[in-house]
Amino acid sequence: MPADLSAARVKEAALIALLRSAGDVVVGFSGGVDSAYLACVAVEALGADRVTAVIGRSASYPEEQWANARTVAVRVGLTVREVDTDELADPRYAANPSNRCYFCKSELWSRLRPIADAVGAGVLVDGTNADDLCEYRPGARAAAEHGVRSPLAEVGLTKSEIRALSRERGIPTWSRPSSPCLASRLPYGTPVTVERLRAVERAERVLRELGVTGDLRVRHHGDLARVELTSSELDRWLGARDVAELERAVRTAGFARVAIDLHGFRSGSLNVLEGIVRE
Amino acid sequence: MSAETLRTALAREGVDAEVEARGRLAVLRASSPDQWTEARRRAVAVTLAADHGFTHVALELSAADAAVRRD
Repeated sequence: MPADLSAARVKEAALIALLRSAGDVVVGFSGGVDSAYLACVAVEALGADRVTAVIGRSASYPEEQWANARTVAVRVGLTVREVDTDELADPRYAANPSNRCYFCKSELWSRLRPIADAVGAGVLVDGTNADDLCEYRPGARAAAEHGVRSPLAEVGLTKSEIRALSRERGIPTWSRPSSPCLASRLPYGTPVTVERLRAVERAERVLRELGVTGDLRVRHHGDLARVELTSSELDRWLGARDVAELERAVRTAGFARVAIDLHGFRSGSLNVLEGIVRE
Repeated sequence: MSAETLRTALAREGVDAEVEARGRLAVLRASSPDQWTEARRRAVAVTLAADHGFTHVALELSAADAAVRRD
């Protein structure tokens, strides 16, 4: 959390001004930390009748993501629409190239644009934040091609600031771990299939049920699941008895072998493994 | 990168583990997983793995039935 919230509050004021100047908006809404905060501020800035949040349902996300998104929408008074996306039907996406996210986001925004037109919203917005601009994000090009704006990034709000401001507003997502799509658990070049996505989803769900907290990723390496935990969770789970429980849980999800990453959780871990980004 | 040279380097640090290279991921098999509760030991393994060209190092959990290949 940022020690001084005053800078974040200044950025928030800029965000409100930006949204007011934009007019009616459609928010690409996942129910995660960023889009929930953005939608909440948009409702404050414009009024609930001028904000439409759209959930793009996809096989690339866990089922519980959508249930959470609906719950958050109700809590913050959002009008929500839902649309199915089908990026897995696009062979360019399913082949899992390093710019996979471009094809996924192209599919998403091509589905949301007609909704924006239908409700008379001039602007599509997403929850990209200022930190995201420093990462490898091929999906950003798709957003630009579809005229999507990223107000959080435009005013320079970082993830930690968004969490702090969300907490201040009582938005329930403030402490929720980041939850990128399940395809991000597959090394590039490993085809994205429903079966692989569901195996990752099952493994992460059983680990949550077992009591794993904080950031968690189960990376899919064929027969091997590589589990990334936070440093404190590594300390906790590497005790002999606990680690056996963890291994059994992941095996039930369909992996023959289970390994625990000794470095621990790293956002974009597979980008490092593939040499796309350096640490 | 080489699984064998990493195994040797780990042994020098008192870590007895078999090593399987899967690209830039090193998978370790050690007899007692509980030795890894110590953060310092994990850091040593991560550093040695990086020195030998591995970006990731993971400890396989009690996979007695899984064959470990060496490159």
